Amino acid sequence: MTPAPGRSRTVLVLAGLAAALVLAIIAGVAFGAVPISPGEVVGAIAHALGGGERTLSDAVVLDLRLPRVLLAALVGAALALAGVLYQALFRNPLADPYILGVSSGAGLGATVAMMALGTSYMMRAIGVPLGAFAGAGLTMLLVVRLASRRGRLDPTSLLLAGMAVSYILSALTSFLLVLDREQMSGVVFWMMGGLQNRSWEHVASLGVMFAIGSIAPALYHRELDLMLLGDERAGQLGVPVERFKTLALASASLVVAGAVSVSGLIGFIGLMTPHMVRLALGPRHRLLLPASVLAGAIVLVVADLFARVVLAPVEIPVGIVTALAGGPFFLWILLRKERTR
Amino acid sequence: MSASVPSSVPAGTLEYVGASIGYGARTIVRDASFAVAPGEFVGLVGPNGAGKSTLLRAITGGATVSAGDITFGGASLVRMPERERARIVGVVPQTQLATFSFTARAYVEMGRHAHLGRLAAPGPADAAIVDEVMERTDTARLAAEPVDELSGGDLQRLTLAQALAQQPHVLLLDEPTSHLDLNHALQVLELVRALADGGLAVVGVFHDLGLAARYADRISIVAGGGVTLPAPPASALDAQVVSDVFGVRAVVRTDPVTGSVAVTPIVRGADLAPAVSGPRIGLVCGSGAGAGLMRRLALAGHPLYAGALNRGDIDHAVAAAVGAGMAELPAFGEVDETVAAEVRAGYAECACVVVCETPFGGANLPNLQAALDSGRPLVLVGEMDGERDFAHGRARVLWDRALERGAVRVDTEADVSGALGRCGGVEA
Repeated sequence: MTPAPGRSRTVLVLAGLAAALVLAIIAGVAFGAVPISPGEVVGAIAHALGGGERTLSDAVVLDLRLPRVLLAALVGAALALAGVLYQALFRNPLADPYILGVSSGAGLGATVAMMALGTSYMMRAIGVPLGAFAGAGLTMLLVVRLASRRGRLDPTSLLLAGMAVSYILSALTSFLLVLDREQMSGVVFWMMGGLQNRSWEHVASLGVMFAIGSIAPALYHRELDLMLLGDERAGQLGVPVERFKTLALASASLVVAGAVSVSGLIGFIGLMTPHMVRLALGPRHRLLLPASVLAGAIVLVVADLFARVVLAPVEIPVGIVTALAGGPFFLWILLRKERTR
Repeated sequence: MSASVPSSVPAGTLEYVGASIGYGARTIVRDASFAVAPGEFVGLVGPNGAGKSTLLRAITGGATVSAGDITFGGASLVRMPERERARIVGVVPQTQLATFSFTARAYVEMGRHAHLGRLAAPGPADAAIVDEVMERTDTARLAAEPVDELSGGDLQRLTLAQALAQQPHVLLLDEPTSHLDLNHALQVLELVRALADGGLAVVGVFHDLGLAARYADRISIVAGGGVTLPAPPASALDAQVVSDVFGVRAVVRTDPVTGSVAVTPIVRGADLAPAVSGPRIGLVCGSGAGAGLMRRLALAGHPLYAGALNRGDIDHAVAAAVGAGMAELPAFGEVDETVAAEVRAGYAECACVVVCETPFGGANLPNLQAALDSGRPLVLVGEMDGERDFAHGRARVLWDRALERGAVRVDTEADVSGALGRCGGVEA
């Protein structure tokens, strides 16, 4: 009854998830074309931090594997964070960046930026995430506008509008790619959701966007709880609803843009992870938010590992793995809702 | 305590200042002006869609105030930041979403939000407040239950607890008992009454006029795009108001047990509309024995005449509600020669007179006499035995004389329709 046991449970759960994430990352780095033992992985990281002598396996770990695995963790965390935010703000367990069209919007924005900015490295490093953010934000505004009737947001309309807009924007992206054949193959692979050939720059770019996008949700976790009671009730209990929604949706758009601009369209992480975590730990965002972020990171690191080893040495884009796992999960939620009705 | 003089408004008063309220461009209530002082409970009643809930929702931003203002202690609640307002105004909405599995205690604790610092978690003081409001709303035993598995009544009481956890100065209730059984409805209203007596300004929307009259200090009627000034229930609610506002003919009287105004609806005005469509029927009634039959006959379209009736008699109120003709007597008044002649003339205009299963005493015996003297066909209901004849056998004498003259006798009121058919082609 007192707050103390709740807090120690929070700490316990989060510590457990963090430990699992560390193990997943070590496993993710260890597996690959050249197997590296977990001891070597830890050693490489220790060398990098302690400045010892670098071995060949250190180079593989630090320059190739670790950035990719960390990026997978960040992308998973970002998509899960966005999923938690969307599901709370729209009171809809089916809301996620992919289904709402925000990922496609970010994809189109990133594609436009890529084509417009040419090949200058600096221009791309800044311009692509910005383009993705603009695309994500505008898409969110458009979908919410389309699904609103007289100031009310209908949950079914929201999903339908999101999916319709998502298809249109994906088609536009494909169209742009057909026009620019030179870039096509690389961007198509990126759009399918891939983590190949990613470097520390990508980790830094997404890391910064994720950090900025997490500030508001971390500070306002109680507001997210209150939003589940409905906009009007949240207002009655002291939440400045419109301002809070704008802030939270902007945060979500930012982390989605960050994720999409480094890894393309990876679906269902934002849907599955918060949902599973909520089933296990309840709806309070003080715990749901950090736990979902950690779980999202774990899920994508494991999915990426899968994508690399299943058909090794051929790699599958990780988006295919998450979609294959996530599609059935989506159906399971739908059917489960039907049955409990 | 006058609502019309703003300067005399005590600190902590909720005040509607010429507020016009609606949704978007549509105005629902115009120029609402009234005040609710601390310690006062004002009930809002009125037909569906008249704007009762809208009046409350305007305070917390759920409806738009297009002109005027709603203030607390002089400060506009409409323009106040949500967080500050939530420390002044607590709301219990009509329905509450429960599509989330917070525990009941976590749900109530959300009421503390506006009192908590940005990074602060609820502390022991908050926990104590949550415990107390759950105790007061009889929800403490639900603390660990997930709210999405509770009944509507439990959720409604938890929502009240949530609003009380805000420690508000003003409490707004939108049909606070709509999901509650009788026991919990009374419990919640007694609690709200106690909170008002403890210094809260309370505004409640009611559909049940009787509950409004019983628990509110004053009642405002919301209808036709306006709000009346709150007035004590006895003067705010009378048969005319109920008929005008709700289109229902009702008996409005003082309940002998609770001492508050009680409203008994008799018929919808609309159902009475094609009023005159059958022969006139007379009734010899009193003490409520004619109420059911009068209602049925009135609905069937018969004009009615109910003889002499005392004010305060339930049949008098029902006769007035259905628009039956009668000779009104003061409470405990006697029938004199003039009235007797009037009643005889009244019955004489009827196709048939029904003598209801009423006890006869000195006061209404003249009705029976007049019915007999009118010469109209009579239908007698029940038996005349010692339990009905308080007139020392005189009622019995009149009864037997009626039977000698060919009156039809039926066992119960249900058989009256058939008997009316036999006495002169009347259909009921």
